[in-house]
Amino acid sequence: MFVAAITAVFISMALILIRAMAGPTLYDRVLAVNAFGTVTVLMIGLIGFVTDRPDFLDIALLYALINFVGTIAILKFFRYRGLGRSTADASE
Amino acid sequence: MEHHFILRVISKMLIPPIMLYALYVQFHGDFGPGGGFQAGVIFAVAFILYAIVFGVETLTLVCPPAVLRAGMALGVLLYAGTGVYSLLRGYNYLDYAALAEPGHAEHGQHLGILLVEGGVGLTVASAMIAIFVAFASRSPDIKDTDW
Repeated sequence: MFVAAITAVFISMALILIRAMAGPTLYDRVLAVNAFGTVTVLMIGLIGFVTDRPDFLDIALLYALINFVGTIAILKFFRYRGLGRSTADASE
Repeated sequence: MEHHFILRVISKMLIPPIMLYALYVQFHGDFGPGGGFQAGVIFAVAFILYAIVFGVETLTLVCPPAVLRAGMALGVLLYAGTGVYSLLRGYNYLDYAALAEPGHAEHGQHLGILLVEGGVGLTVASAMIAIFVAFASRSPDIKDTDW
């Protein structure tokens, strides 16, 4: 069962990588990177179960959090050309 | 004003669990993966998310640069102070047995690790926030074509 799950995760990783390379717009690529992070969370969980170390779930949870923050940071950087500006007084 | 309404609400909902998770990593570090450095980074992530969504100026209202500098120095002081305290008690530097009464060295180990990891977490969190503020408060370069 783990073999099937890991194969499925690898196939979706490959598909996401193709989308990240081929994505016509920036947002396709950002979405692909975000989805790759989500699949990586699944991968870490699976590795934790295969090697019988449930501590890996902690790492998977943390990876999900950092993945979210990283995606927000990338989107803000490309939208506002900098990380520091406040989003409240954007004129456009 | 109400740009990115969903993002603001979701971020406000996520920041407290991130801080709680950092404390879990800090204090559960004896039994699982984790420790002071990781907990400090996760704690800083909560502040960085706040700065990304609400702006660096809002973050500097919450933790001014003076507080960050004091936090960085205080963590190192806590770490080194634990070692110097054991020196003054006549033990080796950072020998945690000095923190408990003789014969109960394991209590000293618990307390010593708690103090030292607390110092590491405080320093790392302050340093990470300070590095992010230093990078993010820099205004982007103006290209020649923008003049």
